[in-house]
Amino acid sequence: MKQHTKLTQKSESVVEQHSQPQAAMEFASSDELLRFDAAQTTLPPEIAERLKRAAGNLAPPPRIGWLKRFFGGTKP
Amino acid sequence: MNEPVERESVTGKTPAGGLASGFAAIYDEHSHAIFYLALRYLGDPEKAQDATHDVFLKAFRKLDQFRGDASVRTWLYRIAINHCQNLCQSWHNRNVHSNADDSIWENSAAKTDSPLRVLETKELGQRIQKSLDSLSDEYRLLLLLVADEELSYEEIATLVGQTADAVRGKLHRARKAFAAHFEKTV
Repeated sequence: MKQHTKLTQKSESVVEQHSQPQAAMEFASSDELLRFDAAQTTLPPEIAERLKRAAGNLAPPPRIGWLKRFFGGTKP
Repeated sequence: MNEPVERESVTGKTPAGGLASGFAAIYDEHSHAIFYLALRYLGDPEKAQDATHDVFLKAFRKLDQFRGDASVRTWLYRIAINHCQNLCQSWHNRNVHSNADDSIWENSAAKTDSPLRVLETKELGQRIQKSLDSLSDEYRLLLLLVADEELSYEEIATLVGQTADAVRGKLHRARKAFAAHFEKTV
C-alpha cells in the first residue's frame, strides 16, 4: 500500500513538472529558428565510436612494389 | 541571437584511438553540422546517424584526395549532400515533390520578415521537421545550408551548383514557404 502511495506521489510530481508553462520564444527568421534547433540538437556519441571501429579496420591496402609486379612476384 | 551550445570533444582527449589525430580534429569541428544537415534533410535520427558515420568514413578514406581548394566544411558538405540525395533516391519513400507545390506556399500570406513565434519548445523539432518535409528537396537543402553561419552564399551556390544570385532568390522563396508551413503546424 505504502509503495502505491509513493508511486502516486511521484507520478503527480512528474505531471506538475510537465504542466509548467514554457516561455514563449520568437525567432526573427527561419534561419534563426534552424540555428536554434541545430544548437539544441545533440550529436549521438555512438557515431564517433562506430567511426573509430570502422577506421581501425581500414588498414591501408598492401602496396605491391612495381618491381614485384613487373617480375610477377605476386604469385604464391 | 542564441549563443551556440558548446559541445564536448566526442572523441575525447586521446582521439588517436582508431582515428588519426588530424582527422579526429576534423570530426570534432564539423560532425555536428553534418549530423544536423543529415537529420533534418532525411528526417530520421537513425538514418542521420548512419549517414554521418558513412560521410566521415568516406572522408577518412579520401582525405589524401582533398586538394584544399575548398574549405574542409564545404568538402564534407559536398560528400554529405551527395550521400543524402542518393539515399533519398534509392529509398523512394519520400513523396515526389514538385516546385509547383512550393509555389502555393510562396504566394501565401506568410512573410519572411514576420517573426516565427513558438510557445512550446518541446515539440519544436517535430514542427520544424514537418515544415521542412513539406518543402522540395532543393528548398530544404538551401535552408539548412544557409542556417550554417560558416557558409557564405558563394559556398552554398557552389554546393548546389547555382549562382549566388539564384541562391538568394530561391532562399527568399524557401523562407517564405517554410514560414507558411511552420505557422500551419501550430
